[in-house]
Amino acid sequence: MKTFTRLARAVATLALATLAVTGASAADKTELKMLVWDAANTAYLQPVIDAYQEKNPNVTISLISTSANEYSDKLAIMLAGGEAADIISVKSIPDYAGMVNRKQLEPLTPYIKKDKVNLAQYSGVTDDITVNKELFALPFRSDIWILYYNKDLFDKAKVAYPTNDMTWDQYAALAKKVSSGFGTDRVYGSHYHTWRSTVQLAAAQDGKNSIITTDYSYMKPYYERVLQMQNDKTVMDLASLKVGNIHYSGVFYNNQIAMLPMGSWFISTVIAKHKTGEATMNWGIVKYPHPAGVPAGTTAGTITSLAVNKASKQKDAAWKFVKFFCGPEGAQILAKVGNLPAIRDKDVVKILTSLEGFPTDATSKEALTTVKVRLEMPMHDKVAIVERILNEEHELIMVGAVTVDKGLADMSRRVKEALAQN
Amino acid sequence: MKTTRHRTLRNDLIAYSFLLPNLLGFVIFTMVPIVFSFFLALMKWDGANPAQFVGLDNFFRLFQDEGFQISSFNTFYYVLGVVPLTLIASLALAVLLNGKIRGRNIFRSIMFFPYVASLVAVAVVWNMLFHPTMGPVNFLLYSLGVENLPGWSASVDWAMPTVIMATIWKGMGYYMIIYLAALQGIPGYLYEAAEIDGAGKWKQFWKITVPMLTPATFFVVMMLTINSFKVFDLIYVMTAGGPGRATNVLVYAIYNAAFIEFKFGYSSAIAIVLFAIVLVITLVQFRMEKKWVSYT
Amino acid sequence: MGQLHLRSRAVDAAGKGLIYFLLIALAALMILPFVWMVSASLKLEKDVFRYPFEWFPATPIWQNYSDIWTKAPFLTYTINTAYLTFVITGLQLFTSSFAAYAFAKMDFRGKNILFLGYISTIAVPWQVYMVPQFIMMRHLGLSDTHLALILLQAFSAFGVFLMRQFYVSIPTELVEAARIDGMNEYGIWAKIIVPLSKPPMATLTIFTLVFVWNDFMGPLIYINSDHLKTIQLGLRMFISQYSAEYALIMAASLVSLIPVFIVFFSLQRFFVEGVASTGIKN
Repeated sequence: MKTFTRLARAVATLALATLAVTGASAADKTELKMLVWDAANTAYLQPVIDAYQEKNPNVTISLISTSANEYSDKLAIMLAGGEAADIISVKSIPDYAGMVNRKQLEPLTPYIKKDKVNLAQYSGVTDDITVNKELFALPFRSDIWILYYNKDLFDKAKVAYPTNDMTWDQYAALAKKVSSGFGTDRVYGSHYHTWRSTVQLAAAQDGKNSIITTDYSYMKPYYERVLQMQNDKTVMDLASLKVGNIHYSGVFYNNQIAMLPMGSWFISTVIAKHKTGEATMNWGIVKYPHPAGVPAGTTAGTITSLAVNKASKQKDAAWKFVKFFCGPEGAQILAKVGNLPAIRDKDVVKILTSLEGFPTDATSKEALTTVKVRLEMPMHDKVAIVERILNEEHELIMVGAVTVDKGLADMSRRVKEALAQN
Repeated sequence: MKTTRHRTLRNDLIAYSFLLPNLLGFVIFTMVPIVFSFFLALMKWDGANPAQFVGLDNFFRLFQDEGFQISSFNTFYYVLGVVPLTLIASLALAVLLNGKIRGRNIFRSIMFFPYVASLVAVAVVWNMLFHPTMGPVNFLLYSLGVENLPGWSASVDWAMPTVIMATIWKGMGYYMIIYLAALQGIPGYLYEAAEIDGAGKWKQFWKITVPMLTPATFFVVMMLTINSFKVFDLIYVMTAGGPGRATNVLVYAIYNAAFIEFKFGYSSAIAIVLFAIVLVITLVQFRMEKKWVSYT
Repeated sequence: MGQLHLRSRAVDAAGKGLIYFLLIALAALMILPFVWMVSASLKLEKDVFRYPFEWFPATPIWQNYSDIWTKAPFLTYTINTAYLTFVITGLQLFTSSFAAYAFAKMDFRGKNILFLGYISTIAVPWQVYMVPQFIMMRHLGLSDTHLALILLQAFSAFGVFLMRQFYVSIPTELVEAARIDGMNEYGIWAKIIVPLSKPPMATLTIFTLVFVWNDFMGPLIYINSDHLKTIQLGLRMFISQYSAEYALIMAASLVSLIPVFIVFFSLQRFFVEGVASTGIKN
């Protein structure tokens, strides 16, 4: 009995002591919750968090991860339910616009001013997401549209490779030239994935028209060009792609398409697939083709950014992490795993182009430098509705259910009505 | 329907004690949110800022909306296709697989497969079979000399029939189970007596099986109707409401309004209209239940 | 007389042959999704949707089946899903059967209105009340818990409706006789109704099992922590922002379907239960 009481007293003292120690440091420990998608598949997340936690040992960052396709829905529901996570990953402009409209994001301009963050390092992208002189998120990742090509297929057809300065007409002619074969053995000159962006972004490339407008007739030549390519079987038709669930990556790895206009996010995937041996072809990238009269290096892009939840109780700590993630240090970590950060200075481009598996030719290394990047989808409070209308009409035009004129006319009419509603 | 002799407070209390476990959970976790969301139909709410009362505005807007009209038409089209065909198919299967068929357990299980299979797999397989240029169905049609091959789920005209067919295929095993279970409840001596009286298989089916199955049929029709009005997942995976808006149904409209446009009030208004339609149909079926469902 | 007999026998055989043919053809069609799933699960991702379609891949990638366990904690997800299914199904069977008895064999004030209320809520798509429901659950502090899903799904109108339809076809005389004998309602439920409920209970079990096992939206909304996630959420981990690994998804789906099939096969016999169980007319 005596030993027991002595033991109990010892345990109690130990417990109390531990409590005192942890109690004291608990007061200094900050835990930040961050909403992300696809954490397991996002190679840069943990390295950036580790780097930050190393520099700031009393901060821990925990992730709430959702599957990519469901992220927007889940985010909407969580915020509607009053979720107080500190940092929110912003996946798309419609998400961003929505959250800004609903006043769910903390305005970052005061923090930016206080910490003297240089917005010029983002190449003007932050201008596109500034609403009424307020910025609600900082971009950490920015992908641009480029053109991928299969060197082996070009060699086989004895056609010269694409260059960093091609007009859309030149690109179309090249695609036709390099196509060959019949039926399931056919090699297609190029490929238009089912997204409307693959066709529509080219139309808005010259900056004269916006994706959100009331008159879409400016897209006519671009749709006509693509439909012609479908008819010539220079590209696979959208109906077959959609019904057959065909993904651009599969046909690229299977040497069925010679060229592929796609976003830079695909670079790290292609590199990874080469490492596992699933893809074996020699490949390269060039800049996105452009309309005549528009300088090469003009392209469209998307950004992924971080925002601070208005309902967060640790806004300052959250901001510090956001600043790190979106700053030069975060950018270098992203580049090291093959993703294009929003800050694309010379150092970052060098890291990217020297990655193992990145095409070694000079043209490919040049491909990532840009002159002007426009957001795929401009910031607008009705962006979500417009996106849906554009998707629906795009599909109808591409499967041939309506003529280009009718499709664009319907597009214009419906968007006009949607914009007019309150 | 004869039940207890007469109502007394005591009987009522006993009855409610039976209901209580389910009722309590149901009311709190389902009914209350539903009622709340119905009130939302009179409001304008984006999920974040305070809701504003707008009266019947949402309803006026929705009856004029082209999108709503398209969704409504598509939904009725879908329901009218799915309900009778699935009913017939599942009843036929159940009767067939209730009789002396060798390996009927295996058959029963196989019929149930599509229901259990991943939606993605069902959509992919169906799309593969009905692929406009590379699928066996069109291949067969082509070799039979058909000239204008349907574009199936990539065509504005054929997308809905394709989705309807996929739904029937997926669902008939499910409703077959209900009929199978109900068939167990038909006393065998009824058939024996009919056999003795010289009635053939067809006559037995119409005079015994069908009437005895009416409670089950009522259930099947109700659930088929309700589930058809509520369809979303299969369409989402097969055609995403397209091409264009060819397979955009009411629940799609509700989903878009709520989760794409953040108009929770408007989306609730659409839901109320959908609910009202189903309620009317349900009431009609209930009325008819008294006439054609035979209870013992 | 003999000739007639022979001909009818031939017709019978031909008819039967036709039936078997149709059944087999239909069965083949039904199995197709699974054949595809197996085939896809053994391919490299880039070949899953490749044309011409290879039903039996020349080089099966068995590694897919081991990858699914390492890429995501599928064991945890499976255990979670099994737990949820078990609890929800058990609660459903009990509360539905209990309530259905009252609707079917008792008379009480408000019966018809209440029943109508039950059924009409089945008509409301969950997309409609999903958000208010979530907000309520959050206020109750039940966000990111299994309890939330259990409470939401264990008390269903569907179960009550299904059981009630079966119960109304149980002869009322049975119940009346028991009442006259002095048995109270609870006794009647336990001793008469429940034993007769095997077919509908088996049915409800299968439906609930399939529903909870395949439920995606419920766990998506209510579960954040990885250790609480279910199989369907786990499957989505193979779908990233720009691509989906269908091969792995199909492998994982097939593996997760095994328990469903086991339950289904073992409940089969309740459908085979002949007239014996319900032939009660004296």
